[in-house]
Amino acid sequence: MSLEEQKFTCEGVAAHFVFYLSNELDETERAIVDEHLAKCAHCRAQFQEEQSFSDAIESIPQAADQLDYSGIVLSQCRSELAEKLDDLARPAVNDDALRFGWFRRWMILHPAWSGGALLLVGLVAGVQTSHWIASPKEPNVLDQAVDVRPGSQITDEQLSKMAVAGINISPSTSGSSGLQNVRLQLSAEQPVVLSGSLDDGDVRRVLTYVVKNGERFNPGVRLDCLDALKARSQDKDVRAALLEAARKDQNPAVRLKALEALRDASGDRTVRRALLDTLQHDTNPGVRVEAVNLLVRSLQEGNGGSPQMPVVRDLPLLPGPVQPDDIASNDLDESNAYLVQALEELQHKDPSRYVRLQSSVALRHISDRQSH
Amino acid sequence: MPFINWALASANETSQTSPSGAVLATVNSLAELDDRNLVLEAQAGNRAAFEVLVHRYDRDVLRLALNLMKRTEDARDVYQEAFLKVYRNLHRFRFECSFYTWLYRIVTNVCLDHLRRRKSRPEDQAPELHTANYEEGSSDFFERQREHRAALDPEKHLAGKEIQDRLAVAMLRLSPRERVVFEMKHYQGLKLRAIGTALGTSEETVKNSLFRATRKLRQELSVLR
Repeated sequence: MSLEEQKFTCEGVAAHFVFYLSNELDETERAIVDEHLAKCAHCRAQFQEEQSFSDAIESIPQAADQLDYSGIVLSQCRSELAEKLDDLARPAVNDDALRFGWFRRWMILHPAWSGGALLLVGLVAGVQTSHWIASPKEPNVLDQAVDVRPGSQITDEQLSKMAVAGINISPSTSGSSGLQNVRLQLSAEQPVVLSGSLDDGDVRRVLTYVVKNGERFNPGVRLDCLDALKARSQDKDVRAALLEAARKDQNPAVRLKALEALRDASGDRTVRRALLDTLQHDTNPGVRVEAVNLLVRSLQEGNGGSPQMPVVRDLPLLPGPVQPDDIASNDLDESNAYLVQALEELQHKDPSRYVRLQSSVALRHISDRQSH
Repeated sequence: MPFINWALASANETSQTSPSGAVLATVNSLAELDDRNLVLEAQAGNRAAFEVLVHRYDRDVLRLALNLMKRTEDARDVYQEAFLKVYRNLHRFRFECSFYTWLYRIVTNVCLDHLRRRKSRPEDQAPELHTANYEEGSSDFFERQREHRAALDPEKHLAGKEIQDRLAVAMLRLSPRERVVFEMKHYQGLKLRAIGTALGTSEETVKNSLFRATRKLRQELSVLR
């Protein structure tokens, strides 16, 4: 409701006294108020009261006059502001910039050298990074379960409960020893991964355990273990395990592999006996043929011949008189006699034609050598 | 009302002069430049031009701060905060209003912030001005004003101080916005439209604030009759 509409009501006009006194009404509005005040004594009294209040407000000393009557506060404010503006205008001090300021100046003054240096740094960083990316650690999800400590001992109880989940043989990276690295993944109460060469006691122990207790492990694992142990056939425990596998393993391929592993130890008396036993009793003709070859080889090595020579050519003639120069020990004599006897039996009785043929060839070579 | 000239100055400030000529002005002649050219100089990095602008208006800014805050320390804080804001944001000023209006918008916002903060901390509300020891109801507030204005005797100052103290207490009943409007109207002499521009609100809103503030103060001071 405008003042024009309120001009006949005291309340409407009174609401504008404040603005009348503060000079915020236009001429028309002032005229309406003046007109109403001339006619209404009640509003006139109220207006005078309002005017007294307004005059009182404007006449009293102001806080600013009292608090800063000498202008000191204003001077202080100006001084403080000038200091703050100086701080804002001053460039921020950067310790790093100061530390390497000489380098930055040098780079600015020598742009060509700077560019070359940056390129070189980039190249070096790139090459190093590519090497780092190209040769990441070999991923293996079971690495988290690895507990490989060279001196650790796996107990017999652990061995009796374990299963071999995997075996991996890789060429040695150490070079000089020539031994292969073997990684064994064992399933037990707590999965274990053994990694190391055959010099590692635990690795060797697990491998020989597997070979000796072939019935508990699948043929593939046994073959892998034999393959790994081949390089350690001179070791007493390993050799015993190989012999046991060659005699008792249910799988002919495993027995054959065990014989192959014993190739380097065929000169040993115990090995020769085992070979003769295999020759006479193994049910698999392939295994028996391998036994023949190894026995002939053992005699050859015992005679000091070259391993590259034909298998039976240099064997001493048996059961004829023993040649002292050819055979160095009584053990070998005994083996030779057993060998000839065994070969003769095989030549006539072996169910396998191939075994008979091989036995015959072996005896003929032994006979030829004796005649020479 | 010495500060009524601010509003008039703001209207005259829009006069255009060559910026390039302002840039070439010497420091000694900066004081003769109008606000627009001083702002252009300051925006170009002329620190002296900014200080001329500050000195042109800071007395009134401090006065407003002192009257509103009633405490010297608070007023100094308002002064510093307001002019530092002006300095940091001067490059954004695009002459869409007068520099004076822009400055007052910043100052009033800073004052409102301080008053609102103070309102949330009752322990900070006691004014620095000492409240006079008067006997409540011993005299009529308005009658005494008439006497004081007419008498012009040596007691006027003391009596005025008493009223000032009472008014300071009564002002605590006002909202921060009402206090700012009342102060700018009665002690800064600004028109309601200018106050609305400074506060970023309409003239009608400012009018309502002034009406409410006056009514509250009359009620508070009437109790003392």
